[in-house]
Amino acid sequence: MGDTKQTDEDSIRSEDLVVANEMGVHARPAAMVVRITNKYEGEIWVEKDGERVNGKSIMGIMMLAAGAGSKLTVYTDSPQADELFEELRNLFAGKFQDN
Amino acid sequence: MPNREKRKLIESIAVSDFFESYQEQLKLRLVTRADTLRRSKVREKSINRPALTLTGHFKYFAHKRIQLFGAGEMSFLRGMTDEKQRITLTKIAEQKIPCIVISRNFAPTKVMLQVMEEYSIPLFRTPLTSKEFSTDATVLLEERFAPRTTLHGTLMDVRGIGVLIRGESGSGKSETAIALLHRGHSLVADDVVRIKLLSDHTTPVGTSPSLNRGYMECRGIGIVNVVELFGVQAVRIDKRIELVVTFIDWKPGMEVERTGLEEKYFDILGANVPHMEIPVRPGRDMARLVEVAVMVQALKLIGHDPAKEFSAKLIAEMNPK
Repeated sequence: MGDTKQTDEDSIRSEDLVVANEMGVHARPAAMVVRITNKYEGEIWVEKDGERVNGKSIMGIMMLAAGAGSKLTVYTDSPQADELFEELRNLFAGKFQDN
Repeated sequence: MPNREKRKLIESIAVSDFFESYQEQLKLRLVTRADTLRRSKVREKSINRPALTLTGHFKYFAHKRIQLFGAGEMSFLRGMTDEKQRITLTKIAEQKIPCIVISRNFAPTKVMLQVMEEYSIPLFRTPLTSKEFSTDATVLLEERFAPRTTLHGTLMDVRGIGVLIRGESGSGKSETAIALLHRGHSLVADDVVRIKLLSDHTTPVGTSPSLNRGYMECRGIGIVNVVELFGVQAVRIDKRIELVVTFIDWKPGMEVERTGLEEKYFDILGANVPHMEIPVRPGRDMARLVEVAVMVQALKLIGHDPAKEFSAKLIAEMNPK
């Protein structure tokens, strides 16, 4: 399960992701994130430096202003957390196909 | 998105039809026998001045076009012997030209009249100058030759922007139109939108079939007379289509545009019209959304793209110099 951690509340799981593209999570990458998160049932939050936003909201994701190298933590109570994290890991690792 | 339009291209216009439609505007008078009108067809939309052809140069002779004889052609012809006139004019007539128009009310030569009647080619006179005739006839022919199609949808004028609302039957196009009318916008066509493209590089223009102009059908209410209900300013005859909005059925998990960064187009007669797809869900005020979509498009037309501006601002924030 990689570096996926079990948190205090049993059903909530989390995953750390690092922004690897040069430009950071601007509008297009944010749209890619919510395209994935909106496919999943349950609640998804994304946190950066103690600020937590709804992971299905594009405006929320963009307001984190996650620049290159910043660390995001994704929390979810979704029963398909594994698939969700897998997809997000691939997205972040692929640098959002951003040039 | 598949566009199931049926495109109609106009290949030719009967000279009789051209004459009947525009004889008053172009002040045309038929000089040859009436039956010369029977078969001829205009097969190209521009006007040809056959000056060079009269000198005997037949290469690239634009024989599919209306042949306009002005002062130059007529004086050149009069300077020829009857025999030479007959040879050249016969050669022109054999190329099946649609018709001849003589400007400034010049009289045709005797040979001209004989040859054209013999080959059953209509010959017209007009008091207009060559310049006046070519300008007016070109505009009229462009209009007649414009490719046209019919699309299913509702065309509205919202704050001066023509917006074509598309969607499956029952997706709420007419209901949205009524709500837009209520807010002071105007209807161009409901259900059946006739569209033509006057020339390339222009915006397609939509209009309503005259039978149902100003009427629309709304489920549960029936046929509505838009002028009686909303006043005469609520109906427009025609409007350029500058935005297409398609109502789509919202389904869980469906991917819809979130940023507006990706520009989509809808093909109408080969012209790319900006296109937005808006998911329909209970409780969404579709009329309001169409109004906002139009305003966003209006902003883009004057050079402001909210999605691009926002994204640029965000990138600047994340990457301080």
